[in-house]
Amino acid sequence: MIKKHHISAFIIVVFTVLIAIIASAEFRKQKIPEALYPSKGLSSKGMLSDYFAGIKDTNGDTEVYFFDSGKPGATVFLAGGTHPNEPAGYMASVVILENLIPEKGRVIIIPRLNNSGFTCTDPMEAYPHGFTIETGTTSRRFRFGSRGANPLDQWPDPLVYVHKPSGQQYSGLESRNLNRSYPGDPDGTFTEKVAFAIIQLLKEENVDIAYDLHEAAPEIPIINAIVYHEKAEDITMYSILELEMEGLQYAPELSPKNFHGLSHREWGDYTQAYAFLMETSSPVQGRLRGKTNEELVLKGLSKNYKTAKETEALRIVYRDEGEPLEHRVGRHMSGFLAIIDSYNELNPEKQVKVSGLPDHSDLVENGIGKYLNNK
Amino acid sequence: MSFELIILLLMLASFALSVFVLKMPAGVSLIIAALVGALVDGHGIPVSHLVEGGFGFMEAILIIATAMIFMKIMEASGVLTQISLGIIKAFHKKPTILIIVIILFIMFPGMLTGLSSTCVLTTGVLVAPILLAIGVPRLAAGSLIAMAAVFGEVAPPISIPVMIIGGGVDMPYIGFTVPLLLVSLPAALFTAIYFRIKFVKKIDIEEVLKKLSSLDKKKRGFVVYIPLIFVIFYMIGEIVFHDYVLHLGVPLIFTIGAILGIIFSPKTPLIKVSREALRMALPVIVILVGVGMFLQILTLTGVRGYLAVSALQLPDAVKYMAASLMPFMGSAYASASVIGVPLVYVFIGKSAIVVTASLVMMASLGDLMPPPSLLCAYAAQTVQEENHFKILKQSLIPIAFSMITALIVLIFAEEISSFIF
Repeated sequence: MIKKHHISAFIIVVFTVLIAIIASAEFRKQKIPEALYPSKGLSSKGMLSDYFAGIKDTNGDTEVYFFDSGKPGATVFLAGGTHPNEPAGYMASVVILENLIPEKGRVIIIPRLNNSGFTCTDPMEAYPHGFTIETGTTSRRFRFGSRGANPLDQWPDPLVYVHKPSGQQYSGLESRNLNRSYPGDPDGTFTEKVAFAIIQLLKEENVDIAYDLHEAAPEIPIINAIVYHEKAEDITMYSILELEMEGLQYAPELSPKNFHGLSHREWGDYTQAYAFLMETSSPVQGRLRGKTNEELVLKGLSKNYKTAKETEALRIVYRDEGEPLEHRVGRHMSGFLAIIDSYNELNPEKQVKVSGLPDHSDLVENGIGKYLNNK
Repeated sequence: MSFELIILLLMLASFALSVFVLKMPAGVSLIIAALVGALVDGHGIPVSHLVEGGFGFMEAILIIATAMIFMKIMEASGVLTQISLGIIKAFHKKPTILIIVIILFIMFPGMLTGLSSTCVLTTGVLVAPILLAIGVPRLAAGSLIAMAAVFGEVAPPISIPVMIIGGGVDMPYIGFTVPLLLVSLPAALFTAIYFRIKFVKKIDIEEVLKKLSSLDKKKRGFVVYIPLIFVIFYMIGEIVFHDYVLHLGVPLIFTIGAILGIIFSPKTPLIKVSREALRMALPVIVILVGVGMFLQILTLTGVRGYLAVSALQLPDAVKYMAASLMPFMGSAYASASVIGVPLVYVFIGKSAIVVTASLVMMASLGDLMPPPSLLCAYAAQTVQEENHFKILKQSLIPIAFSMITALIVLIFAEEISSFIF
C-alpha cells in the first residue's frame, strides 16, 4: 500500500531530477570551447601536452599557437586565462592571437592556460557563464570561468595546500590555483602537472620574455601593476617610463622572493625567461561589487566602488567612469608592447618585433570587437 | 531606499515568515528567501544559480555526513563510554579538573565536525549520567552540555561558521587555530569553573559508579580505539607530514574510520547507525545548502556588495551593536552567512582572521537561542527536562561571559593579531 510519505518522496525525486536536467544542460555548455581565429601570422599550432604527455587527453591540455617570423630573434611567451574569472587577461591574449604579425623572432600564445577553469564558475560568486562582444557584423561569445581548476578535474582540496618544493602553506582551495603551483610536479596533482608542462614549454622553447595576464579586485593592493622577477627590473622600469609617456600609470612590483608558486617568481627562477605578470582593476572580481552580471564584466561600472572610494576606508583603484573591458584589455596590450620595446632596447643583438596590434588608445576608441576576427 | 535594501528586507521577511509562521526548517526557509530575492530582482527562478550556490558547501556537507556516521559508530562500539568512565575514574579526586576534562570531551566531536549538535548527541549523551551522578542538577547538566557544544563548534581544527564567513569574503581557512582557541577556550574554562563552584561538591567515587551501573562497563580491547586514533592521527598527519601521507580528504578519512569501526566492532548495526546519523545531520545539511543558495542570490542581486559598502560607512558604536545581534539569529550557520559576512567588511582595517573568530563565537551562541533553540532542546532530552527554555535560562551567565570575551577580542582584534602573528 502506498503511504503518504512515499508520495512525498516520489514528488521530491521527480522534482530533483527535473532540476538536475535543467541545471546540467546549462553547466555542460561551459565545456564547449569558443572558436578562436588566429591571424595570418600563425605559423603552427600545437598542444601543451606536447611538452608533458602526462596531461594528454585531460582538461588540462590546451592549444599552443606559434607565430614565427622565420627571422632569428627572441622568443616571447604570452599566457591568457590563468584565472578564467579575469576576462581582460584572456581577451588581451585573444586580441593578440587574432591580430599579431611577427616581424622578427617569434611569439608563442596560450590563450586558455587554465583550460579546466573555463569549464565552471565558482559557487556563491554568481558569475555569468560568459559575455558577448559585438564585432560590427556579428557577435562573439566568450566564457567566463573559475579562478581554479574545475573540482571535477581535481578533488578533494586538502585542508592546507603545501607548495612544492618550497613547503610554503596556502589554504586548501589554492591547490587548484595554477598560479600557486609552479614549478609543478610531473607526479603531482592535476594542477601541478599542468604547471610542470608550462615550465617544460618555457625551457624547451628557450623563451626570453614570458607574460602572465591577470586582473584583480579594485580593493586588492597590487593593481594596475607590472609584477616582475628581479632579473627583469631594468626592462620593467624602462617600460613603465614608456607607458607613462602614453599617459598610462603602472606600479612596478618586485616579485617577493618568498612568495612561491606564482608565475612571476617561479618562471623566473626555473627558466631563463624574464617573467612578468600584469594586473588591471576589475570590479566584477571585487567583494564590494553590485549586481553580478555580464554588464559588469563588460562595462566595469560600479556605484559601490565609487562610494567605497569616497569613504576612504579602503584603498580603491577605480575610476568614476568605470573600468570597461576595452580599457583593461588595452592596458594589457600597451604593457605587452612596452615590455617588448624595452627588451629590444636593452638586447639589441636578439630582438623581437611584432606588428598589427592595437594599443590602449585604439581599443578605447574602437572597442574590442573591431579587433576580433569573424572566422 | 535603495533597491538592494528592498530586496534584502523582502528576503529577510520571507525567511522570518517561513520560520516563525509557516514553521518551516531554517534550511528550507533560506531557500525560500533566496527564491524571493531572485524573483524580486527579475531573474525568475535561476535554476543554475540556485544549484551552483547549493553546492557551495559540498565539502562541509560531506564532512558532516561522514563525521556523524563515524561518531555514531564510535558511540555504538562503546569507545565513547569507555572514555567517559575513564575520565571519571581518573579525575574524581580533582572535581575542577574533572569538569574541565568533561567539557573538553563534550567539545571533541564538534571540534572535528564543526557541528555543535554532534557534541550534545554523542559525547553529551554519554556524560549526562556522569554529571547527574556527581550531583550536578539536571538543568545545570543540560546547560553545561549545551555550552560545551557551542565551544566545540567554535574551537579548531574544523569550524564550519568560519568557513561560511570565509566563503563569503574570499578568506582562506588558514591561521584560525590560535584566534579560535582564544575565543573558545577561556569561555569553556570559565563555564567549567562556574559550574564546578556552583554545583559540584566532593565526589564519592563508589557512590558515583553505583549510580552509573546503567552504563556499559564491559572491558573492551585496545582495537576498538583504533578507528578514533586513525582519524585523529591521519588528519594531523596529512598536514604535518604532507610529503609522506597520501592526501585523502576529511570525508574519506572519516569514512575509512567508520569502516575500521565496523571491522573492529562487528556487532555494530551499520544500517541503523548510519540512518540515525544522517537523520541527525540532515537539518544542518539542508541549512548549508540553503546558505549557499542564499549567498549566491545575495551576490547575484548586488545585496552582498550593498551590505559591504553600507557597512564601511557605519559609525564605530553601531558596528559593535550590530555584532552583538549575531546570537539572535537562532542558528550559528544562518548568523554567520547573513550577518557575519557583511560584518567582516564592517571591521575592515582590523585583522580579518581575529575579527572572524570573534564573530563566530557570537554566531555560535545562536544555536542556543530561540526560535529553534536546537542545542537547548537536544540537551533537555539528554537530562530528561521537558522545558528546554529552562536550559537556556540556566546558561545565561556563561553566554554573557562568552559574549563579553568575543566582544573584547573584536574590539582589540588588531592588537591581538599583531601579538599572535
